Amino acid sequence: MPTQAEIFKKVSATLVEALNVDHEEIQPTSTLQGDLGAESIDFLDIVFRLEREFGIKIPRNELFPESIFQGDPEFVLNGKVTEKGLKELREKMPFADIGKFERNPDMTAISDLFTVDMIAKYIEGKLGSKA
Amino acid sequence: MRLKDQVAIVTGGSRGIGRGIVKAFAAEGAKVAFIYKGNQAAADSLVAEVAQAGGIAKAFQCDVTNFDDAEKVVEAIEKDLGLVNILLNNAGVIRDGLFVGMKLEEWNTVIQTNLGGVFNFCHAVAMKLARQRKGRIINISSVAADNSNPGQTNYAASKGAVNSFTRALAVELAGRGVTVNAIAPGFIETDMTENVRNKAGDLIKKMIPMKRLGQAEDIAKVAVFLASADSGYITGQIIKVDGGLSLGAVAM
Repeated sequence: MPTQAEIFKKVSATLVEALNVDHEEIQPTSTLQGDLGAESIDFLDIVFRLEREFGIKIPRNELFPESIFQGDPEFVLNGKVTEKGLKELREKMPFADIGKFERNPDMTAISDLFTVDMIAKYIEGKLGSKA
Repeated sequence: MRLKDQVAIVTGGSRGIGRGIVKAFAAEGAKVAFIYKGNQAAADSLVAEVAQAGGIAKAFQCDVTNFDDAEKVVEAIEKDLGLVNILLNNAGVIRDGLFVGMKLEEWNTVIQTNLGGVFNFCHAVAMKLARQRKGRIINISSVAADNSNPGQTNYAASKGAVNSFTRALAVELAGRGVTVNAIAPGFIETDMTENVRNKAGDLIKKMIPMKRLGQAEDIAKVAVFLASADSGYITGQIIKVDGGLSLGAVAM
């Protein structure tokens, strides 16, 4: 079973290929869209590459949920994610670090949850890796 | 040579417009893999004709309506010729007849070939092109998408859908440097238009401001342009190549 460091290295290499960015640009906290310029097709490409790289199956919408709240007003009200919405987020994306987002749960910032570290944590969870 | 060492797939390549495109691509230096459904003799003669002219064309048998087969044949082509750079979807059929008498099978055959074939091959190739961050997809549509003729509800619907598909896919792939365009031919002198030409005779030429039917080469020249680096800033466009037919002028 690969270590966390090995997983991070492989995830970084995958992102270099998929997003056409330099290795140096990839930090654990880099956001895929904001920092690394990912577009919607890139998210699919990343999923396909991770599946092959790690020999795992990634169900659609598990790693990058596209419409996690589906317009439900209980989850999102006036552009802010509600308490119930945040609970849903924690359940659906236990691998994401939502601490910063919780302090200002503005929907426009939700893509900031998608970081390099988030992918690495997701893979760790899938493979059951230990440090 | 504008397509030197580019690997191109042309569906419906053994006859008509597709055949003209295969020859033109090969003449511009592309390594062309063309798809044919059943006419082995036509496919063989095209391979020989291109080789004679000093080009490279290889024939691959595949029914474009089959999703899995499309994927398999693209894999086989890449194994043989290398990474695909250009996809030209030309395979198309007509099953003309007034709508009230149209059989479900006639509807399905046209939609599954003309639209389904475009879906199947684009699906097999799109991510490959996106990963290379460059590529060309060219769909052969028809002026019949916008200019309605009686007896072509199925054909017009399929080509109208190809136009919409072309624009929508162009938006998705633009960020990855892949362009997606369509060519909408008017009346081209091929087997497909033979019946109409026989029935309508000189009337067709009167409808065309340029007073002549198009040739496969007229379409092939535009296809070469769209496949080449020269068209790099054009995407999501439907280019009519019809001698002015779609302008709707009344003959004087």
